[in-house]
Amino acid sequence: MASVSVRNRVNQSGVLSGRPMLFAHGFGCDQTMWRLVAPEFEADHRVVLFDHVGSGQSDLSAYDFQKYASLSGYASDIVEICEELGLRDVVLVGHSVSAMIGVLAYHRAPELFGALVMVGPNPRYVDDGDYVGGFSRTDIAGLLDALDANHLGWSTQMAPVIMGNPDHPELAEELTNSFCRTRPDIAQQFARVTFLSDNRADLDGIDIPTLVLQCSMDAIAPDSVGEFVHRRIPGSVLVQMAATGHVPQLSAPEETKAAIRAFLAR
Amino acid sequence: MTGPHSDEPGGEVAEHLGRLLEDDPADLYENAPMGYLSTLPDGRIVKVNRTFCAWTGRLPADLLDTRFQDLLTAGGRVFHETHMVPLLRMQGAVREIAIDLQRIDGSVLPCLLNAVELRDDTGRPVLVRATLFEATARRRYERELLAAQRLAEESEARSRTVQKVVFDLAAATSEEDVAVVIVQRSREVMKARGAALVLVDGEADDPQALPVLRPVRSEGLSRELLRRLRGAAGSRLALELAQGVRSILLDARLRGDQPELAAAMGEAGIDELVVVPVSADSKRLGVLVLALGDGSPEGLISLHEPGARRVMPPSEVDLLYTLGRQAGQALERVRLHEEMVRAGERSTFLLEAARLMAGAADVEETVERLAELAVSRLADVCIIDLVTEHGMHRPAARHRDPGRQHLVDRLRAYRLPVQAGGHPGLLALREGRTQWVREFDEQRLTAMTLEGIHRETVRKLCLRSVVSVPMAIEGRRLGVLSFGADKHRQPFSAADVEMAEQLALQLSQVVDKAQRFEFEERTSHTLQDSLLPPAPPHLPGLRTAVRYVAATQGVDVGGDFYDVVRLEHGLVGLSVGDVVGHDITAAAIMGQLRSVYRSQMVDQLTPGVLIDRLQGGWELFGLQRMATALFGLLDPASGELRLASAGHLPPVLCVGGTAEFLPVRPTRMLGAPPAEGPTAEWVGVLPVGATLLLFTDGLVESREADIDAGLDRLLEVVGRSCSSDPDELCDRLLGELAGEHRADDIALLALTRV
Repeated sequence: MASVSVRNRVNQSGVLSGRPMLFAHGFGCDQTMWRLVAPEFEADHRVVLFDHVGSGQSDLSAYDFQKYASLSGYASDIVEICEELGLRDVVLVGHSVSAMIGVLAYHRAPELFGALVMVGPNPRYVDDGDYVGGFSRTDIAGLLDALDANHLGWSTQMAPVIMGNPDHPELAEELTNSFCRTRPDIAQQFARVTFLSDNRADLDGIDIPTLVLQCSMDAIAPDSVGEFVHRRIPGSVLVQMAATGHVPQLSAPEETKAAIRAFLAR
Repeated sequence: MTGPHSDEPGGEVAEHLGRLLEDDPADLYENAPMGYLSTLPDGRIVKVNRTFCAWTGRLPADLLDTRFQDLLTAGGRVFHETHMVPLLRMQGAVREIAIDLQRIDGSVLPCLLNAVELRDDTGRPVLVRATLFEATARRRYERELLAAQRLAEESEARSRTVQKVVFDLAAATSEEDVAVVIVQRSREVMKARGAALVLVDGEADDPQALPVLRPVRSEGLSRELLRRLRGAAGSRLALELAQGVRSILLDARLRGDQPELAAAMGEAGIDELVVVPVSADSKRLGVLVLALGDGSPEGLISLHEPGARRVMPPSEVDLLYTLGRQAGQALERVRLHEEMVRAGERSTFLLEAARLMAGAADVEETVERLAELAVSRLADVCIIDLVTEHGMHRPAARHRDPGRQHLVDRLRAYRLPVQAGGHPGLLALREGRTQWVREFDEQRLTAMTLEGIHRETVRKLCLRSVVSVPMAIEGRRLGVLSFGADKHRQPFSAADVEMAEQLALQLSQVVDKAQRFEFEERTSHTLQDSLLPPAPPHLPGLRTAVRYVAATQGVDVGGDFYDVVRLEHGLVGLSVGDVVGHDITAAAIMGQLRSVYRSQMVDQLTPGVLIDRLQGGWELFGLQRMATALFGLLDPASGELRLASAGHLPPVLCVGGTAEFLPVRPTRMLGAPPAEGPTAEWVGVLPVGATLLLFTDGLVESREADIDAGLDRLLEVVGRSCSSDPDELCDRLLGELAGEHRADDIALLALTRV
């Protein structure tokens, strides 16, 4: 078996002897999502970035439709990364669905992790009785449609762009939405697994310091969900951010960094 | 447009064109044939053109300060956050993002979006400019294309599934294999919560009877649900089977008709059962049941609204129907194969059983060994009951697994009251018919067993199928042969029953023959005992010893005899003989002969005359068999001895340690046409201290050596053992010559003159 580091395109920086911070990207793009935040911690941490299998520059041949039919497949990868790199007392920073994947990884090997940072977590997107996840089933069906529409567009548009600029591959790269591109069938399954999982029960039994970063006006993780997560994890810290949207590490890197710093300094 | 040969626009047109080309930038912005808008990095719209307003049906004032993402459909919003925002931040631009706007009336406007992010000197985002093109027709086309592609993929996936199933089924060698393949594959295809293959046990004698359902394999279904399913399907299964692929929804009707089933479905989160017929040609073998419910096997939330009716697409119905047929054909094939294997096993078994019975020594041993053979081959339990004059008797009860033998031992010791109603063995005996319970449930078990330890023991044996075959000959009940199969074995088939019946027939003959033999043997010995004379009388001047030893082999008693009789004047009559044959008739004739000869002896006939009289009156006396005999008349006072032989071996005389055969000239056997002239007599003297030995051929005949060798040995032993004690001589002779295995009876008469 190829090494886990190759499979998950692991990139390390910072102080090797420092406390490890493992950044896990969410559904959509890849580890470059962290490029405005991760460098902040290189001065005193061992910073580890990776791509989930099926995303970014990961080894697509390692994608197994059975293994990744649920979030636990991704969680076991995180544990494997920590084990291969020999990480302990890890600060696991997970965005969006990876906040929940992080929780699953913690349950799988609690001895590896020292703190959880959950950026925009949502343990269940689909509304369920009194619980408001923010989406109806129809909404999720619409999302799957949107994915379809875009993949079709890209696949037909890709070729001429690259072929038209043989001397400037960097230009082609820039213009082809490459960071967020993956195989349509993988994107479909990842979307299903992300938006159709119910991990509320997994929030129980977390007893390491946990930070919940909640953005304002987040269409994907409403405020009520952030509060729900905070309530279900006793002792967790909930930080309501000024940043709007679902991607504070890109839209408000300073606020994000500061919040994490403050949490780690506690 | 400005080439030298182009038509120059003239006059007013040119003027108008000129005005247009002068381009009022505001007009170009507002009325461009595309939506145009600028937003802050967080999505708030700061500038928007009229085209966009018109498309969305909103006023510019309403749009300003509204976040762009809030104009999107929910799916679009997610895509915006997870793809567009990161891309813009990382690439500074996005191209041809397919995105759906929601108009003010709720309708959807499919668009393609290009956007650039404007940044300040430090790289911080300041503004996003976006253009949108309407893409309704294009998206419809793409959607159709995608749908067609998906359809083709599905169809290919279906063919692949069928191919895989056919491939896997080809490797199946048992019903279980087939079940594993079909349950697993169909479950995958349908993304079902669970699946089960339920087969109908055919061969039911009564076409009116409800089919017996047997779940062969299930995955992902609770025990409770399976039980309810079985109960609910029982009465309607024939109907279900005839219906083709059917869907049973958890709805109000089901809740009313089958409340338990509905409750079990609800409990397991299942809202639809799909029933697929499993058939081969026109034979309906069973059903495949798929349980569909909210959520996939991986635990994901279903996209279908809970309780919403899902319409099964025809392609799915076709696929399931095909899978059902494939499974049916595979089942037929493996059953045929299994039946052939079992037929082979059965004939081997019958052959071995026949061999075993042919070499049988006694009934008890035979049935025990037969039971042992049976549990090594065709059953888990074998119990054999025999009817004896003392009632029912259970000489054999075996279990295949020595670890469970103690359970059948308990059954063996258990005495069943004859009136035990539903017990299959007793029923078989009472009705004289085979009892075959192909598959029984708890209820049937209760009916078949007696309350308490009997039922408990049978339950512990986990039996599922029982066959009891009566053994009888000419209406005489001999016993019952019972077989049991437990849960690890297929239930007994009609062919198994037929074999059990054949076995019972064979065993009946063995038991019958043995019982007759035993009866006859007992009768013969009783008869013989009563016919042989009592211990010889005390005779002055003589010591006598007699012996009668029955054969150890063969089934019958012999017609050997001896006699010592005191006559008037101190004379003693001696005789030894052998009636032809070894049966009860021989014994009876021996008795007759003794009576006849004793009545003749009243006249103190010499032996030769006695033989002549017997020969002459043989027919008159009604003696139906021939016999050899040696008669003697002795005067103990003088030692005078007369002997005559009718085809009998000569006696031995032993004097002073020397043994010799007395040369008595034999005449023809008694019952043979008499020889001419009177029978010759040997006349001599028995000296004091000498011993005379009369014997029958059982003493000197053996399978190993011829009679001459036997006679030589006799002389040798007598010479060495002869003393004044005839008893001791008899014992020695029997000890050294008779051996362990005697083919014939032996009669001995020894007397010593003192």
